[in-house]
Formats: sequence, structure tokens, C-alpha cells
Amino acid sequence: MKYISDLILKMSSVDRRWIFLVIALSVILPLYFPLGLPIRPTPTTQQVYDTIDALPHGSKILVSCEYGPSTKPEIHPMVLSVLRHLFKNEHKVYVTCLWPDGQFLASEALDLVGRDEYGLTYGEDYVLLGFRPGNEAVVKGIVSDIRKLYTIDAKGTKVTEIPMMNGVNRFEDFDFLFSASAGYPGTIEWVQYAADPTNVPMSTGTTSIQVNEVMPYVAAGQVQGILAGMPGAAEYEALIGVPGIGTSGMDAQSIAHLVIVLFIVLGNVGYLIERNRSKKY
Amino acid sequence: MLWKRHIPILIVAVIGSLTLFGWFIDEPNIKAFVNDDATQWFDILASFAIFLGGFNLLKMQLQKVLRKKQGWQYSLFAIGGFILAIIAGFFYKGNPDVAWGTHVTADGTLFKWIFMYIFAPLGATMFALLAFFVASASYRAFRIRNFEATLLLVSGIIIMIGRVPLGSSISSWFILYLLVLIGGIAINSVFKNKQYTAIFVSVGIIIVTSAGSSMGWPLDQPGIFYLPHLQEWIYMNPNVAGTRSIMMGIGLGIFATSIRYILGIEKSYIGE
Repeated sequence: MKYISDLILKMSSVDRRWIFLVIALSVILPLYFPLGLPIRPTPTTQQVYDTIDALPHGSKILVSCEYGPSTKPEIHPMVLSVLRHLFKNEHKVYVTCLWPDGQFLASEALDLVGRDEYGLTYGEDYVLLGFRPGNEAVVKGIVSDIRKLYTIDAKGTKVTEIPMMNGVNRFEDFDFLFSASAGYPGTIEWVQYAADPTNVPMSTGTTSIQVNEVMPYVAAGQVQGILAGMPGAAEYEALIGVPGIGTSGMDAQSIAHLVIVLFIVLGNVGYLIERNRSKKY
Repeated sequence: MLWKRHIPILIVAVIGSLTLFGWFIDEPNIKAFVNDDATQWFDILASFAIFLGGFNLLKMQLQKVLRKKQGWQYSLFAIGGFILAIIAGFFYKGNPDVAWGTHVTADGTLFKWIFMYIFAPLGATMFALLAFFVASASYRAFRIRNFEATLLLVSGIIIMIGRVPLGSSISSWFILYLLVLIGGIAINSVFKNKQYTAIFVSVGIIIVTSAGSSMGWPLDQPGIFYLPHLQEWIYMNPNVAGTRSIMMGIGLGIFATSIRYILGIEKSYIGE
């Protein structure tokens, strides 16, 4: 028993580089050797799917991209899956960005899904309006008069010359909003300044760390479901039947989480042994 | 004094009052100002703020290099990156077929190349490093020192495992067996009696095994011990309650601060 206690104590003070190595292996190995763990949608993910699926074909959908390269692994798979779902149901997709780097990633997602996978036409089936500085003021601008804020799209084309912009003047002209958000400005600003005052339904996809602060809006019914981090993306991929980056990352995330939990447990066992010994002597 | 103090305070008081009371007054001109003009003004100011922020950053980094402050070498990279981005944004497109303005997102341009091959990998790398630091920090600092810390630790573990597919593959019965063993440890530490511990663990195992056999060992039953259900409950109940109270506190704080600005009590924006 003493030998085990000593061993645990020794492991408690292990060099942190060993921890880094174990974490690296627990992330890399499942990416190369997938375990194929089953993905079951949580109620909040299911709610996003059901809300989008229930929209009448040809609806006007605003997708807002508020994320950057650092949060791409979590948010980008959601955007790809939601776009696939929207284009499959023949909706018109309008994309805005409250973050400057969101425009690059939105452009990448639209090219991949809209142009390459579905062969859709820019300006008729989807449009990238792009980034405008001003945070929540941009949201308010879209609510009151989108044409004042966006005179040209991200490609420099005049908004008046884009066919799918006919009849789109303000936020209320959209049937649904999906906010892909990694922080401020993002989901909360869309709820407070756009969706709530106008009663336009919205759903969101956020980073795992942001779920806490968005959850009250979901519980209150102001946001129709939430895709929570990479697991939310993987669940949405499972629902639309197109596995992607989210699904492939789930095994790695599962094992990494398990390893971190094991480290925490081990650290605490060591702490308790140490505390008992110090009490004794 | 008039230009530096009184006029800025007057502008803040008038515009602040207009935007605040515009929500409550049903007057078309005031509503138009709040919804359209004030928003446009903010957009214009925000665009100028980007320039101001950029030049301020450049000034700070240059000062650091010129005065050879600690870590000034890193500032060279910041200045280099700044100059490179300005060249790619204003002077050299890298693709003559693309129009100015759209060149920041169009394929084959220098700006897009910088984003794709420098900014994106660096950003992703910085964020990816978090996993290592979180693992190392939680190993060393996440200790069950008191009741609150234990509660935080247990909730954290349930959410970490319950959120991922691995959690949905862990049977409720495994959690029940685990609870029996943890209960055994607790009884042993309280009573320091091996017989009590053995009796508790044996009875617990027998009860869980009999219940499992009679119910056919369903993975997600009893639901209260199924990790995905548990984490969902934590998110939707204790978390929502806590977050709402924090949000209400923040809201009241914002309201109080705004009133202080409008009444001219808060003057930090003019350096007082």
C-alpha cells in the first residue's frame, strides 16, 4: 500500500512535459486510428435541426459568422453543416460577419458548400455581404436598414445589382437567423438587438466555453437551440448524415477529456495522500 | 476648459439621453435618430477607431524598440507584420486581375495569402496550446480543498465526459458502481472500520446488480446517473440560474454607469 501511495505521490509531481506528451498522443492517435464512438444528438442540437428543417423551402436565411482561425475547429464544421442543410432545403442564404476574419472563413465555407458541392450561383442562391466594423451597431443597422450599411457585397458588387437582394431591406425581411459565434460581438448581441425586438427566430452555434452565457437565452426560448462546441457540430453532422471535421474530431476530444479527467483524479488522490501524511506527522 | 471638458460632457449627456429615451418615446424623428443616424455615426466612428487603434499599436511598439524595453525583439515582429499588412492592403495586391477592395478576400492575393498561411495557422496554434496548459494546470491546481471546490470539480468532470460521445457510451450502471465504491471510501474515512466499509460496498453492489438485472441493463437508465442527461441538467438548471443572476447584475451595473455618464458624474472618458 505504501509503495502505491509513494508511486502516486511521485506521479503527482511529474514534470509537466510528460503531461504535454500524453495529451499530444491522446489527441493525435485517435485522429489516425478512429474509435468510431457513437454520436447521439443532445436536445439543444436536435432543436436547431428541427427549427431549420421546419422552415418553408426558399426561405431567406441570414447566417452571421463571428469567429476566427483560433475557433475555426469548433465553429467552422457547424457552419458547413448548417449551410449544407440550408442549401439542401433550397433556402436563400445571406452571410454577414461581425468579425473581420469571419469574412475569410465564411467565403471559404460558401465556396466549398454552395459553389463546389451544390453548384449554386453566387448572387442568386447565396451572397456574402461581408464584414462591417461597429459591433452591435452593425446589428442595429441591419435591423433598421441593411442597404444603408451594405451598399456593396464582399466582392464589390453593388447590392442593388444582386438579384437575391430584391425585397431585402431590413432584418425583418429574413425568415431565420443562424449566428455562428465565438464571442463578442455575437449571439448575445443578435438576440438583444435583432431577434428579440423583431421576433425573427434564431439559432446559434458557439464555442464550448461560450455555451454557459448563451444557455439562458435558449432556456427562455429566445434562441431556438444551440450547437455547443465541436460536439454540437458533430451531432449536427450526424443529423444531416454528412460526417465531417466535427465527427472526426470527436474521438480525439473524447480521449483528451478522459485523459484530463484522469489527471485531475490522480492529482487529487496524490493531494489526499499528502494531506493525510502531513496530518499524521 | 470649455472645449476639453464642458462640450464633451454636454455631447455625451445630450446624445446619451436621446438614445436612452428614444426607446420609450413614440416620436418618429427621435426613433429615426436612434435606429438609423446614431447607428451610422457609430459605424463611422468605429471605422476611424480602427485607424486610431492601428497607429496607436505602431507607436507603442516603436517606442518599445527605440527605448530597448524588455522583449523589444518581439516588437520587431509586430512592426514587420503591421507594415506587411499595410503593403498587402494598400499598395500591392499580388493579383492584377482582382479589383482594389475585394483583393483582401479574393484568391491569389497577398492579403489572402497572409491570412491563410500566416495569421490562420498562428491563431490556431495559440488556441491549440490551451489544451496542454489546461491539462497541466488542472492536474496541479484542481484540488478538492473544500465543499465548493469539490462541487466544481464533480460538475466539471460530468460536463467534460458527458458532452463528448464517450460519455454517452458510459452506462448509468457503471456510474452507480462507481458511486458505491466512492461511498465505501467515504464510510471508511469517517468510521475507520473495515467491516462497515465491506458491508456497505457488498450491499451496494448487490442492490445495483439486482436492479440492473431486473431492468435489463439499459445504457441510459436510471436517467439521473446517465452522464449526458446529467450534464444537460447542469447546463439547463444550476448554470442558467447562475448565469442569469450574473447577467442581471451586469445589466444593473451598465444601467448605473450609463446614468452616471449621462448626468456627467462619470468623466473618465475625458481623462478625469
